[in-house]
Amino acid sequence: LSAAEREMAEDAEDAVRIVSGMLRRGEGGEAFRERRRATSWSAGEAGLLLPSTVEERGTAVRVRRGGESLLVARPGDGPEALREAVREASRRAGGSPFFKRRPTSRWQAPPPSVSEEEAWTAALAAALARAIPDPRGLSLSLVVSRVAVTRAVITSRDLVLCGTSTRLEATGLIGREKARRTFSFQASGPWPAAVSALETALREATRPAPSLRPESGETDVILSPSAAAVFFHEAVGHPLEAERAERASVLARVPRAAVAPAGLHVVDEPARADLPGRYVHDDEGMSGLRVPLVEDGRVVGLLTDRRTAGADSNGHGRCSDYRRPPRPRLSNLVVSLGQASFEELLGLCGNGLHVREVSGGSADPESGRFVLMVESADTIRRGRLGAAVSRFALSGDILAALNGLEADRGDSAPPATGLGICLKGGEGLAVGGAAPAVVVRGLAVRAVGA
Amino acid sequence: MTARDGTDDLFERTFSSLKDGTRDGEGAELYERVGATLEVTESEDGVEVLESRERGFALRLFRAGRVAFAADGPAGAHNLAERGRLLLPRARARRGVRPPPRLPGEQVDRTGAPAPGPLQEGKARELLALFRSTLMASGEGAVALREATVSLGERSERLATTAGRDATWTSRAATLLATVVGRSAARRFSTRVVAVASRADELPMARLARHAVDRVLLPLSGQPLAPGKADLLLDSHVASHLVGRLAPLFFGEEEEALLLARTRRGRDPFASPCLSLVDDAAAPGGPIRTTRDGEGTPQNRTLAVDRGVPAGRLTDLSSAARREMASSGNAQRRAWSEPPTIGVTNFFVDPSPGVSPLDLLADVQRGYYAAVLLERPEVDLAANTFRLNTAGYWIEKGRAAGRVSEAAVHGRLSDLLRGVAAIGDDLKFVAGAGGGVGSPTLYVPRWKYDS
Repeated sequence: LSAAEREMAEDAEDAVRIVSGMLRRGEGGEAFRERRRATSWSAGEAGLLLPSTVEERGTAVRVRRGGESLLVARPGDGPEALREAVREASRRAGGSPFFKRRPTSRWQAPPPSVSEEEAWTAALAAALARAIPDPRGLSLSLVVSRVAVTRAVITSRDLVLCGTSTRLEATGLIGREKARRTFSFQASGPWPAAVSALETALREATRPAPSLRPESGETDVILSPSAAAVFFHEAVGHPLEAERAERASVLARVPRAAVAPAGLHVVDEPARADLPGRYVHDDEGMSGLRVPLVEDGRVVGLLTDRRTAGADSNGHGRCSDYRRPPRPRLSNLVVSLGQASFEELLGLCGNGLHVREVSGGSADPESGRFVLMVESADTIRRGRLGAAVSRFALSGDILAALNGLEADRGDSAPPATGLGICLKGGEGLAVGGAAPAVVVRGLAVRAVGA
Repeated sequence: MTARDGTDDLFERTFSSLKDGTRDGEGAELYERVGATLEVTESEDGVEVLESRERGFALRLFRAGRVAFAADGPAGAHNLAERGRLLLPRARARRGVRPPPRLPGEQVDRTGAPAPGPLQEGKARELLALFRSTLMASGEGAVALREATVSLGERSERLATTAGRDATWTSRAATLLATVVGRSAARRFSTRVVAVASRADELPMARLARHAVDRVLLPLSGQPLAPGKADLLLDSHVASHLVGRLAPLFFGEEEEALLLARTRRGRDPFASPCLSLVDDAAAPGGPIRTTRDGEGTPQNRTLAVDRGVPAGRLTDLSSAARREMASSGNAQRRAWSEPPTIGVTNFFVDPSPGVSPLDLLADVQRGYYAAVLLERPEVDLAANTFRLNTAGYWIEKGRAAGRVSEAAVHGRLSDLLRGVAAIGDDLKFVAGAGGGVGSPTLYVPRWKYDS
């Protein structure tokens, strides 16, 4: 256990008693503790500028009864914060709990050691210098953060530690001459590997932007593994986050229907340790289960939380922070491999575009429209890669795009670095993805500014 | 110690130890935020109530042009100085970086940040009921409300520096977030409504509901706009989002180069003489109403563009110092855990030279009235381009002659801004650019639509 986890579990017995005492017959609910530690640097083209360190702790108490739910959040992740939140939740429900005063822990998790922080900074500064050897003509405005989040859920039976997740994030703007682009990066895993992946992504993102505009209109595309991960996230992941029947998305409305080529499997895997959306228990204390969403091209599953599935939740109740209620959200979306090499996919595509990098996307599950913002792409002519093209928006209809997927897919699916924080309803969560390169027919291209 | 209303003397104690421990040449700024939020959500699943309280401290430590930032909750406030000092050697020096000083004649206010009182759940439910009933009445069975949330917030902030500034201020906010769906026989279209006001009573629920109905029903009826040249009327809601995207041009040094390029170093106007852009934290109808910015600087009215010509900049203390001018009071703290950055308060087109929107409409012989935005506007300040995907009405001889389900208004941003021939007097604000952004209706004659 990490130091923060040990501290959160210190009053486990007492905390469980308080939560079980709060819940009345017919009520469900739990308490939630969170500690977030971030070390950030604002980065410019000249290197790292403003360093900052932030630690935030919070406790929330959630109570559900029929269609009504209540969340009370308080600062602090210790016994006092829990009691204060329970007291307010009970007051709103008409009760007045009496708590015996117990000695509270004064133990504090030590801050990262100086040498540890020095090592992080030095590694980042070096990576930035290597990625941008010549900053002339370049403007960079990034925030690079190392974020560690520890969470625990207290149910009426147990205190469940959700674990500590650590990730490297970078977001901001990169400008070169008359072109500006957004940059979004995220990686989990060991620090040296994450920093090295950031260096590669930055080197790619700071290359001069091509001036050739792609032709607007319908075209066939090859999505690189990183871009395909974003596509499946928007086109399959979000539409299969459970909502009630009336809100059903274009995919949730057609259970068991064949929507994609046979042989395509899409699974949400919270346990994938190499992807940033990893967790063992979700933010309601349920085990994060592996959920097949598409099997052999058919819609077979939904991602659920306790609100949408009660005790049958498959462990996808996730919240952006302790102040927000959990909602069904995806974690790491993994797409089955194919056997085609990149050259074979080029030949299959014929004429079109090869999308290397997508900086963001959005989808409206209700109408089925989605948009991907493409930052880096090349033309494909007669099965060969051609010139690089400038930024463009790639859009389409979810059902039509899945139907337009070729059955042949790439033979490798590395962790996607382009999937940053996923925002839904203004609430950001770490997500991951791994998908092979795919060919999609008939997506709409529109050059930015056209 | 002068804590009141449930707060303690933690700020005082932390700041005194900070002052005592300050080394030669070092300056410090301590910031505290105490806030409360109440949120009521109604959806098909039921009613959800969220009540949260927050309290956080943030330190900025300054030394020889370097600055480090550390933030923590009450439990970690005593460690902030130590953590800031660890970071300071790794910061890069920048001209103008220093702790906020006490201004001449500025009062010192050591009353402390009072804890917000209870927030009215009944008021939030009342506003939701008004929004729902207006939406249902205006939607005539073709519109459904998926989810609506009213959030009421109140916060107190205090900031003290070793350079003598000590100030306390409070502010409020009310927010509506709603997901509305329109249905026709063949299609569905959903949209998200976001509105912010400085008080719950100032949220125009009925107007927001009627506008939401237009936003989901217009794209489901009528015809896409045919290519050609026609006059353009941009509704105040549509124009406000565009104005919000201009704000960064007036922030920092990098964007200044863009502004200079756009105006050929001031030889060309930035916009039409009808357009003056203002930032004002006290603007009537503006969703932001504060007295001080995130560095404790009293907020002013700043004229960013005066009748088409760039006239001022939105600055925080360090960017103002680099320009050898006073800060305009535009340092914003989005959260206590984030360092201040330059942002807007209420940033808007000054409607004082405007005429009634009906007069603008009467002058249109053949044109398009862009009434609603279908997607987020695309504005590329560096490339000088914009694109607004809109729906609205075709206008002939000053009257609506048909519905337009989709029209892309796009082209060169400078052409649009310089092409504005008249403005309305119907200033409205929307949430944007991290604050409030506003515009009246804008009239641009002979705009070219090609797809």
